[in-house]
Amino acid sequence: MSLLSVRDLVVTYATRAGPVRAVDGVNLDVPAGSITGLVGESGCGKSTLGRALMGVLPDAGRIAGGQIMFEGTDIAALSAPARRAIAWRRLSFIPQTAMNALDPVQRLRAQMLEVLIERGGLGKADALARASELFHLVGLDPIRLSDYPHQFSGGMRQRASIALALALEPALVIADEPVTALDVIVQRQVLDVMRNLQARLGLAMILVTHDIAVVAYACDRVAVMYAGRIVESGPVADVLENPLHPYTMGLTHAFPDLYGDDMTLVPIDGTPPSLLHPPAGCRFAARCPFVQPRCAEEPPVTDGDHHAACWRIDEAAELRALAAIPATWMPK
Amino acid sequence: MSDVRGGDGVRTAMTPLIKAIGLEKTFRTRGRDVAAVADVSLEVARGEALGIVGESGCGKTTTARMLLRLEDPSAGKIIFDGTDITTLRGAALLKFRAQAQLVFQNPFDALNPRFSIRRALAEPLNNFGVPIREHADRIDAVLHRVRLTPPAAWLDRRPHELSGGQLQRVVLARALIPGPTLIVADEPVSMLDVSVRAGILNLLREARDALGLAAVYISHDLALIRYVCERTMVMYLGQVVEEGPTKELIANPAHPYTRALVAAVPVPHVAQDRAQLPIRGSLSDAAAIGGCAFRGRCPHAMKICIELAPTLRTITPTRRVACHLEGTMS
Amino acid sequence: MLRWTRECRSVRSVSAGLRFLRAEPFAAGGGAIYATIVLVAIFADRLAPYPPKAILRVGARVARYLPMSSDHWLGTTSSGRDVLSQLIWGTRAALAVGLTAAVAVVAIGTVLGLLSGYLGGWVDRVITWFADIVLGLPFLPSMLVLASLTRPGTTVVIISVAGLLWPNTARVIRSQVLSLRERAWVEAARVTGCSTGRIMFVHVLPQVLPLAALYGSVAIGWAILAEASASFLGFGDPDMMSWGVMLQEAYANQALSRGAWNWFAPPGAALMAMVLAGFLISRGSEKLLFPKLADQ
Repeated sequence: MSLLSVRDLVVTYATRAGPVRAVDGVNLDVPAGSITGLVGESGCGKSTLGRALMGVLPDAGRIAGGQIMFEGTDIAALSAPARRAIAWRRLSFIPQTAMNALDPVQRLRAQMLEVLIERGGLGKADALARASELFHLVGLDPIRLSDYPHQFSGGMRQRASIALALALEPALVIADEPVTALDVIVQRQVLDVMRNLQARLGLAMILVTHDIAVVAYACDRVAVMYAGRIVESGPVADVLENPLHPYTMGLTHAFPDLYGDDMTLVPIDGTPPSLLHPPAGCRFAARCPFVQPRCAEEPPVTDGDHHAACWRIDEAAELRALAAIPATWMPK
Repeated sequence: MSDVRGGDGVRTAMTPLIKAIGLEKTFRTRGRDVAAVADVSLEVARGEALGIVGESGCGKTTTARMLLRLEDPSAGKIIFDGTDITTLRGAALLKFRAQAQLVFQNPFDALNPRFSIRRALAEPLNNFGVPIREHADRIDAVLHRVRLTPPAAWLDRRPHELSGGQLQRVVLARALIPGPTLIVADEPVSMLDVSVRAGILNLLREARDALGLAAVYISHDLALIRYVCERTMVMYLGQVVEEGPTKELIANPAHPYTRALVAAVPVPHVAQDRAQLPIRGSLSDAAAIGGCAFRGRCPHAMKICIELAPTLRTITPTRRVACHLEGTMS
Repeated sequence: MLRWTRECRSVRSVSAGLRFLRAEPFAAGGGAIYATIVLVAIFADRLAPYPPKAILRVGARVARYLPMSSDHWLGTTSSGRDVLSQLIWGTRAALAVGLTAAVAVVAIGTVLGLLSGYLGGWVDRVITWFADIVLGLPFLPSMLVLASLTRPGTTVVIISVAGLLWPNTARVIRSQVLSLRERAWVEAARVTGCSTGRIMFVHVLPQVLPLAALYGSVAIGWAILAEASASFLGFGDPDMMSWGVMLQEAYANQALSRGAWNWFAPPGAALMAMVLAGFLISRGSEKLLFPKLADQ
């Protein structure tokens, strides 16, 4: 049984031109005690999906269909107060910029205590002890609980917001691009803190990112999003080393590597479709070098732990060989 | 205006196109002088690409801005094509600007939102005194070079109608259109989507090869630098700590900071080193006065590191490093 | 100004403007007041039932102090002139003074704000210092000193308004330019060989014009009020039919003690409406100017 199980989720944004289907029929299972990467390019709906799961969509956005089953309850159907009751305790959030999670005019101690006492029902003494322990866990000196957020560096702030998110030992943490704004060394250190805590507390985590290398480093599973849909998902090793979907194949050749032979990076020509009027059938078809007439129809999603939505999944091995050749991706 | 376009590979001689000697830049903030760049010397030849890597605040962007005379150095000299350009003004500076161009980090902010693509590309030609009758041909040629074809389809568009990758192509076209000999690219793809980054990097490589340009890339991403630069300089707190051929530097980093930086770069493979980084503390712990700037975070710090700041020493004909460990360790 | 007008004519700007007005009822209210006054001024000669200076008679007698009636909607003055007609013709004077002064305020404030913000250094220090001094001057007394030293009239009013109100515009333009100066495309203009003047006037100026226009709309109200004050105190142009002149005449003829509300209340209300319009527009545009403020 998955801890979180999303079924046919649709999230729309109201715009002047009409509703934009930012998340359009997403199915996703997150097992307990693992890190799932949600990877895709800007505008693919990954952040919207993360926010919908967390119940913090912006005003123009709303869940227009589907279910979010979390610990046996459909949290998409819950009222706002019922949602708030599980926030922090069962489900919490690490935003991209820690400043969004932290109150600039309050000392960190006050912010930690607020969560621990108001939400967690701890006594003051217990809460203080727990706050120190949490700071210690994320690699911050508990003395700094009496600091204000602006006295911290970017990496320290992100550690503090991780401590805040984990304060009540939730079952699931959703992290939206938690290391994107950080320098490489700090990024690695913050990722290590997240991985260690996740393993130690046995919680599940969804890590929203655009960076496949971050997924490869930190995640157990990955779901690749494109134009509002999940096109491929499965264990990280399978998806990255043996991708089934041409989009994932393209992505793996678009990244420069620190090691290995000299290779020519291959861009994926074109741009994603408009989500105001998405095309019928496979949404990657217009950019896909392996497109066929039947791609104009909705591709089936394969079964199995590692699955993808593509008509040519049986030929995946041959397509992977072709995808490694730069000429394949040249615009026609 | 000398036009150096057209395969000029022959002139990639050893004489550097641009050479900086002892560059320093001090900013005054809150009544205190803070050195953004403490001491940087570098050389880039025609046809060569130099990468400058380091974390934010290491002075790499300020160094690049000084090379382009967008920032006046507090000390040091910049020699471009045999001429001292450190204090050029007026017409002489304009002549240098035509030779040294910049590719910006954020394509969404690098073009005047009110200017059409045509106007954005014609402006440098006007400013650098290219006769109007040549404009149309040069705009056409440069749009072909950045693969915005057919050019006529792009000329009348405005920035808000273009995607990030398309905008960055226009930014690159604007940099190439005056026929420069030096291109500086400051994080040229960090704001772009993964699937279009490769396209821009490939265009930059092609343009450099075809036009024999000297290039300076600024990035925090060593993997990207490895893709586009043969030679790399690592900066830490305003100083060059290591310099050498990129692949050697990654395979066998000599400075402890470079080692940490290389270890921290995530790679897109499941099998990778997840050991603890060989570095302590954070940048804010490092502001030690005197001695080596990195000693507060260095796992190998010794007594001499507190007493004496290491200078950049040549360890092999192609590599330089600023560390007391060098020679004692290996 | 020309570039701005051209921009305003473009359909995109107009539709964006309409959207903005729909979203901002304050600004829409202010805009409606201005629009009404402009229409009345344009058609003043057709709307006014009588010539504004004509001395009306009832039989052989001068029609003094007539109350409100269907013949004279707002009654008549002590010298037998139709109040409504004076009020209507007064819009022309109000607009002439208001617009001229507003354009002058915006022109001076924008150019100085632009120089100060973009060039920085001693230019910035001198302009800021000068602006601080002018801001310290009390408006009405300064205008009266200026008027008494020269020939009273509309020119003095316009010069005073322009000379005393530009610092407000210059300040906001300066801060806007300071942030625009950091934009990458401004730096790109330097790299591609633009001169400083070209960067300021071709690249930066068009970006600050909407803000400048907004400050201009506030200055219109101020200028009209200033003109009325000057006229009321006898420093205005006696030949011009303005709301200030109406108030001055009403005051001189003790309209208040005679209870002739119909004479002095309408020009007073018209003045209030104009100043209110400027205030409403600036209040409604706060979201546009200070998006961060609106978020909180």
